[in-house]
Amino acid sequence: MRVEIVLLALGVGACIWALRVLPLRLDMRDVPAGSRWARFFAATGVAAIASLFAAGVIPSLQDAPFATVLGCLSVMGIYAVSGSTVTATIIGSLIYGIAFSYF
Amino acid sequence: MNNSRGLKGAFFSGAMVGVPIVLGYLPIAFSFGVAATRAGLSVVEAVSLSLLIYSGAAQFVAIALIAAGAPFLVAFLTLVGMSLRHVLYGPSLMRAAGQRAHFGAVWGFGLTDEVFGAALAALARGQVFSDRFMLALAGSAYAAWVGGTYLGAMAGAAALQDWPMVDATLGFMLTALFLALLLSILRAAQMTIIVVSVGVVAVVGAFVSPVAGLLTGMIAGAIVGTVRDAG
Repeated sequence: MRVEIVLLALGVGACIWALRVLPLRLDMRDVPAGSRWARFFAATGVAAIASLFAAGVIPSLQDAPFATVLGCLSVMGIYAVSGSTVTATIIGSLIYGIAFSYF
Repeated sequence: MNNSRGLKGAFFSGAMVGVPIVLGYLPIAFSFGVAATRAGLSVVEAVSLSLLIYSGAAQFVAIALIAAGAPFLVAFLTLVGMSLRHVLYGPSLMRAAGQRAHFGAVWGFGLTDEVFGAALAALARGQVFSDRFMLALAGSAYAAWVGGTYLGAMAGAAALQDWPMVDATLGFMLTALFLALLLSILRAAQMTIIVVSVGVVAVVGAFVSPVAGLLTGMIAGAIVGTVRDAG
């Protein structure tokens, strides 16, 4: 086991721990509703999830456009029917996998 | 008795919300384990990266940097820089929770992109925030990530090549999860934020880098949401 790899992992891990944990200590109850910061953090959640979806779906569309579109439509359809993110994710992924393999 | 049932319920809810993340993390972590051993890392070194860094994109880049013999400081700054977006997650989550986290130091390291998204969506659907809920959600995802890395490092290259449908299904799981999470918190008023975020990720990702696209997409969407709601 190389010491430099473990040291790198320790150093980066400590910084990531700080980036994830220390902001949790901010008391967000003190931020007035409707204030600029309240609006910013409310919008951050939607923006983050939309960005993460885009970062995953864009390369997938380039690799397997039909399977990706079918998988996404399946997730939307199953979520509309079931209202469950778990069911929509699992069945939508399965339909993507089948389309990817056979079309 | 009721309190005990409530605590168990929060733990169970967290574990259930974490199911798609676990299913999505296992194959990616498995792939990481395979890639790490292929790049010359030992099983212990590969698992150490997952245990200590616990950030998929940063870990894959770490392998490339280590294999290329990048200087320590360059590798360190690159990997930390890739993870800067995580600083936004804690305040956003606690704002939605409406209370303080007493054991954030315990589960906060597990606040990855997927755990953040799943927790936020669960709160939007009426889940009551608690440290136990977050511990179960973040803990199950972390266990899947470290376990998947170990299995991948032990299995070696080409482990899933004979199972292309399984490989494809599992590979799409996180994209499907983010879409489902987006649907679960979607309101008509948020369409502008989504369009701006997706557009910035596409443009910056294509012309600069995927990581830069992700960070600027989040910030651009959040700024648009802040400015628009003020009007």
